[in-house]
Formats: sequence, structure tokens, C-alpha cells
Amino acid sequence: MRSVRRVTTLLAATALMVTACAPQAPTTGGAAAPAATPSPARGGTLVVAASSDPGQLNTAITTAGGTHFVAALLYNGLIFLDQEANPKPDLAEKWTISPDGRSYTFTLRQNVKWHDGKPFTSADVKFSFEEVLLRYHGRTATMRTVLDGIETPDPFTVVFRFKQPYGPLLQRLDVIEAPIIPKHIYEGTDPTRNPANTQPVGTGPFKFAEYVRDDRTRFVRNPDYFKPNLPYLDEVIFRVIPQANTQVLALENGEVDYLNSVPGPDLARLRANRDITIEKSAMGSGGSFCTSTLIFNLERPATGKVEVRQALAYAIDRAQILEQVNFGQGKVSEAFINSGLTWATNPNAPKYPLNRELAGQLLDRAGYPRGADGVRLSLDFVHPSAQSRLGELLRQQLQPIGINLVLKALEVNAANEQVFIRRDFDIGWASYCNGPDPEIGVRRMIDSTNIGPVLFSNGAAYRNPQVDDLLNRAAALTDRAERGRLYQEMQVILGRDLPYLGLVESEGYRAWRSSFKGFQYWSGLFAETAYLEKR
Amino acid sequence: MTRYAIRRLIQVVPFAVVIVCLVFVLIRLAPGDPITYLAEADGDAAYLAAMRAKYGLDRPIGEQLLAYLSNALRGDFGDSFRYNRPVAEVIVSRLPATLLLMGTALAVSTVLGLLLGIEAARRANSYRDLVLTTGSLLGQALPSFWLAQIVVLVFAARLGWFPVQGMTTARANYTGLAYVLDVAWHLALPAACLGLLQLALITRLTRASLREALADEYVRTARAKGLTENDVVLRHALPNALLPVVTVIGGQFGNILTGAVLIEIIFAWPGIGRLIYDATTARDYPLLTGLFFVAALGVILANLVTDLTYAVLDPRVRLR
Repeated sequence: MRSVRRVTTLLAATALMVTACAPQAPTTGGAAAPAATPSPARGGTLVVAASSDPGQLNTAITTAGGTHFVAALLYNGLIFLDQEANPKPDLAEKWTISPDGRSYTFTLRQNVKWHDGKPFTSADVKFSFEEVLLRYHGRTATMRTVLDGIETPDPFTVVFRFKQPYGPLLQRLDVIEAPIIPKHIYEGTDPTRNPANTQPVGTGPFKFAEYVRDDRTRFVRNPDYFKPNLPYLDEVIFRVIPQANTQVLALENGEVDYLNSVPGPDLARLRANRDITIEKSAMGSGGSFCTSTLIFNLERPATGKVEVRQALAYAIDRAQILEQVNFGQGKVSEAFINSGLTWATNPNAPKYPLNRELAGQLLDRAGYPRGADGVRLSLDFVHPSAQSRLGELLRQQLQPIGINLVLKALEVNAANEQVFIRRDFDIGWASYCNGPDPEIGVRRMIDSTNIGPVLFSNGAAYRNPQVDDLLNRAAALTDRAERGRLYQEMQVILGRDLPYLGLVESEGYRAWRSSFKGFQYWSGLFAETAYLEKR
Repeated sequence: MTRYAIRRLIQVVPFAVVIVCLVFVLIRLAPGDPITYLAEADGDAAYLAAMRAKYGLDRPIGEQLLAYLSNALRGDFGDSFRYNRPVAEVIVSRLPATLLLMGTALAVSTVLGLLLGIEAARRANSYRDLVLTTGSLLGQALPSFWLAQIVVLVFAARLGWFPVQGMTTARANYTGLAYVLDVAWHLALPAACLGLLQLALITRLTRASLREALADEYVRTARAKGLTENDVVLRHALPNALLPVVTVIGGQFGNILTGAVLIEIIFAWPGIGRLIYDATTARDYPLLTGLFFVAALGVILANLVTDLTYAVLDPRVRLR
């Protein structure tokens, strides 16, 4: 009996691996149906577990992941990002970039209607950016410093002009980064208090039906959606379930059909269940390509020395961390830029394989000989209490080289405040998300003008004019290959200086009842192409 | 008694003001900042400053408190940062679910606890009494969050008798009786977990108190008069024995609310317990102040009801 179960587990796992490795059907703006099934059936209700209440449903005024996960299906961006974060058409049909890289012209689709029946035009795009996104969307708001203006020469053309050549724009226009909201509803109001935030109107594949705070949010199919035949599902319901354990049980029981994340310890059990499909994704709605990272405070005497930082890197066994802390979910970080950003990461940046002997020599050289008790120095490690396992393991790993790690576990908000705002730490921790472009999530970590008092800024207080220069030059180019070369050069410097040590590149897992197919699980519009398989 | 109740209710006002002030200052002293939470990992310094000004968090704390109090007097408890809706509206929308959960747990555990306690006291030191006392000791010792996880695993996940989470079936749009039954089906496990601790407590207390009363002189007199055993226990001894039990039940309001926070999170029950948890993590100051105010009011009202019940049970107690 047991061996039979083991064989079926193995088969299921193999099948999963095969499907995971198979080349994905190309998606053109989510408009095409998945290649495997020519005409998916229409109908069905999808119940999705959400970890928190969305709060409200206007995603243009917030970057809160919980709001975007629920409400993104109501809206569209100008651009749809495919699984490799390549720009595809969404509300914009096509676009051209001027040779100097300072102006982008988008041609909008003409058959788009808001859920209330009014036509969608370029005025909505201009309004969404100028009055809402650039003020209230934390990530998009940072574009103000480089944006010169937005023009609308006709109802279906939008031109973005920049003060300097600007490369990363297309990556910043998807439904998560820049959802477009209706001007006729929000004009002249405070967009954070508009009643439409809980009675939302968008252009997206689903229309709002019902919002019961802390319980459920219900959407129904948008019959006038501008992408032909889509969506297939009649209804999507988000059920708020705060506990990850409860979410998994609810999926197994069939009370919900889709989970946006699976806790590590439950993964093996779900994999063995043939009614459940699991997909891995380094990208995710809201934050993508995230790396669990140690932050070395360069303003402290010990961690300010590069030998000490390198010694720490040689002494930390990241493979063990991946296994024991992250339950094997993800991979060991090898370069400063997440390996998911294939065009920007540098696989040949300096590496620090486990070598505790070398670590000891480096500490000798830095002026930290072993004391009578074998201890060379004490460093404090400020981290959120959710990372306590990491703290314990690091403490164990650093003991042999004579470093006494003092664990300071704090509630997550307090830990972030102590690291980024009060700057009272030797080693800190954060999950830094690179986003679809290094300009979004990498610059803030190393730009010398971005040191405190902002969360997830340059926590190490790293200052290197050479790196600043490379960042600025890369941002001013539009050719991806050229930009990639500059970022790769930058990672050689960062690998040597080591202001941060990437531990594990985390991977998210999505899980759903196998009767559903066709999810764009890496995207905010994850259910746009989903359908229920008829049995 | 009505005048007494009204006077007690008026006394609530200064309490409430002190509570609001304390909570207002204390939660702002705690580390963490609502704006950095709202911005999640994002936003530059200019963005954060603009948001701070928008929510009035850039002003001195004394000024913020005065503005809050003067608005609160007019019934305006501010807007929640996270929901961008009036605090009162947010709390009122979630209150019924919690009242249903707490009310069911309290009602069932009180009735059942009294019955079991009486049974145990009447058959003191019997086999049945031993089972009841041991069981209630165990029930009091189990932490409710642990119990809840086990109960979910056994009765919902493995046996499939009850749903794992929620207050209603997400896919179904029940109305009328079907809706009531659906809610009751979802209510069973969380209410049982929340009520078990109370049940154990009330059982043990009733037993101890009733046994003490049964040993009193007036019970012997009653028995000597030839009254039936039921009359002796239920009409003579029990009313006296109930006084300490009522005190304890009334004082449990705060504990039940604390238990409800955990139970609501585990069972995804959409009540104010979860609102408290979410508002704390989000540092949603206005909502948190409102929630603590409501909780404090609940404790005060529970005490008032306890005092009034005393007067009904014990004719010697005169409320003025």
C-alpha cells in the first residue's frame, strides 16, 4: 500500500516536472487562448484564497500586495508582462520609442469600454498618471523625477516625454505598476476617498459584484471585454483566509480553488495530491524576483571593513539555509541582481563558496584575532521574528569562525524601523524585490543618494561613485543588451565590495484545483485566461 | 434599578475619555509607522512625507489628540487608514459576526456548564463526577489556538463534517433558512473551541460553589422540612451558589474577546477579532483606537450586567 502511494507520488511529481519544464505557450497580451486546448469551455466559479482583506478596490492609489492580488482583475495596464517580463499589448495596441529614448508613443485599442459602458480614451491614461498614480502609487510615484509630461494628441494616442533617455518605462506599465482608472468617475474628487473605490469601475476581464469586508469579494464576467472570447469564467470570488495553514486545508477540502502561495512544509503533501496543480513562479503580483538578503551596516566599525563582510560570506552556508529555512523553495543567490532578470544578472560575478578557513584568515587580517574564549567579535543581527530560524542557523554557522551573533528578533515593522530609519544594527535582514527592472528594485539598494530614512532603501549605506555612474548610464539607455552589460559590470564591483549578501532567491508557489486550467499565474491578470475543464 | 443602571452608564463617560487618551498615546509610542506600512516597500521620501501630511501624522501628538477628541465628541472617530472609510462604519460592519460567535459560545457554555456543574455537585465523588472534574480540568488547560488547529484537522479536514473556514459557503448564494443553516454549520467548530474553556470554568465553579451551599444549615433545614431533593438543590441552594458563578462569567468578557481574536484568525471568521489583529499589524491608529474603545466599553457593560444580575438573584443586594 505504502509503496503504491510512493509510486503514484513519484509519477505525479514527474508529471509536474515535465509540465513545468515544457515550453510555455506564447502569450500575446493574454489575448490568445492557451495553445493546448483550442476552445476552452465557458462558465464556472473560481474561489480564490486571499491572505488579507483588500481594504478597498482601487489599485491605482496603493502598492499594497493584498489589494492588487484581489482587484487587479478589474483593470488593465497599457502593457501586459509575459512570464519573462517581456512587454506585450494590453490597453496599448502598439508603441514606438524615439531614437533618443526620451519619448514613448502608445497607440491605444479603440474597442475598449469601461464597465459602466463609457468609452476608454487617452484622457483616462493621462488622468490616471497625473492625478493618481504619480501621487499615490508608491513605486510609480518615483517616476515624477524623470517624467517631463504626458500628451494626448488624439483620443487613441498617448505620448510620455522624459527629461532624459529612460529605459525601464515599458516594464512599469503593467496592471500592477500602473492600472488605468476612469477619469469620468474620479475627476475632481479625492481618489483615496472616492466611493467608487468600493464600487469600482475598470476595463478588466471581470466586473465588480460584491464586497463584504473581511469575508469575500465577488466579481462576474465582463461580457464586453475587449479581448475576444475572454474571460471564460463566469465568476471569481476572493475569500479572505488569514492563516496559511487554513488556506491549504480549504484547498484540499475543495472550499477554495486557488492559492497564491503555499507554505514550505505543506508543499510535499500537496504535490502528492493529484487533484491539485502546483506551479513555481519567481515573479508575483506586487513584488517580483525577491531575494532574502543580509544587509551589512557600513557605518559600523566591524561590518564597515570589507574583509569582515567577505569573511561572513565565506562562512555562511547558503545551501543549508535554502534547505532548512526556505524548505528548498528557491535557489541560492549567486549574483547581486536576481537570476530571474536573465538579461541583467551576472553569473560570473565574484563568488563566495563555503570556506571557513579563509574566513578566519580574513578576520585575522581585519584585526579580529580570537580571544581567550575563542570569540573574535560580537555582531548584532536585527531581523523580523518570522526569520528566527534564519537567525538561529546563522548563529550556528558563524560560531566556528569566532563570530558571536547576537539575535535581535523584532516584530516586522519594528525591525524594519530599526534597520532603515533608526539605523541601529550591524547586520540587518530584508527581502529585497528587484521588480521587473533593476531601475525599480535594485537602484534603491545601492544609490548613494538613497540612504535612510525610507524602508527598503540603501540600508547598507553603500556609497560608490562608480556604481552611481553605472546606474545612471544604464537607466538612460533603451537597448536592453547594452543596459545589461552595464549592470553586469556593476555586479562585479558589488560582488567585491559586498554591501549586501544575497542568501536565497525565493520562489513563490501557486496551487490550484486541477479541474481549472489556463492561469497566467505570474501576472496580476491571473484568471483572465483561466477556465474550468469539463469532465 | 433603572436609575442605578443609568447612573452607572453615565459613569462610563469619564472612563471612556481616559481610555481613548491612553490608547491614543500608547499606540503611537509603539515602534512602527502606518505610512511605511501603507507604502509597503515602496515610495521615496517625498511620497512618504506627502502621505504623512495627508493623514495629519506630521502634526504634534497633543494637537492630534485634541483634534481627535473634539471630533469624537461629535461622533466622528476618524477614517481608517487602511480602508479609507469611517472607523465606526468599519467596526459596525464586523461586529455582528463577533457577537454571534461570542454570544453562541457564552450561551452554550453557560447553560451546559451549569447543568454539568449541578450534576457533578449532586453526585460528588461519584464516577461521573470524577469524569466531569477531570474533563473540565483538561478543558481549562488546553490553549484555544492549539485546540482550534486540532479540531480543524480532525473534524473538518479528515472527517469532513464541518467546513474548514469562513462564515458562509463562498460558492453558494443561500437565502432564508438555507442561509441560517449554512452559517450555523460554519459556526459550530469556532464556537465550540471558543466555548470549551468557558464551559470547563463554569462547570468547575458551579460544582465547587454548589457543594459549599449544600453543606449549609438552611439546606439541612429544607431537607428536614421534607422538600424533594430537586427543590432543595434547584430552588434553595442553587440561587446562592450562582453568585460567584455570575461574577466570573461577567468578568470573562475580556478573555472571550482575546480568545475570539485567535479563533477568528484560524477559522477565517470575519469579525472584529481579526480587525484588531489587522489594524495592529497595519498600525491603523484611528481604527485601533476605535476598536480598543469598543472593547473597553464591552467590558464595562459586561460588569454592569453582572451587577444587575446580582440584584435579581440575591434580594439582599439593593442597587441605588
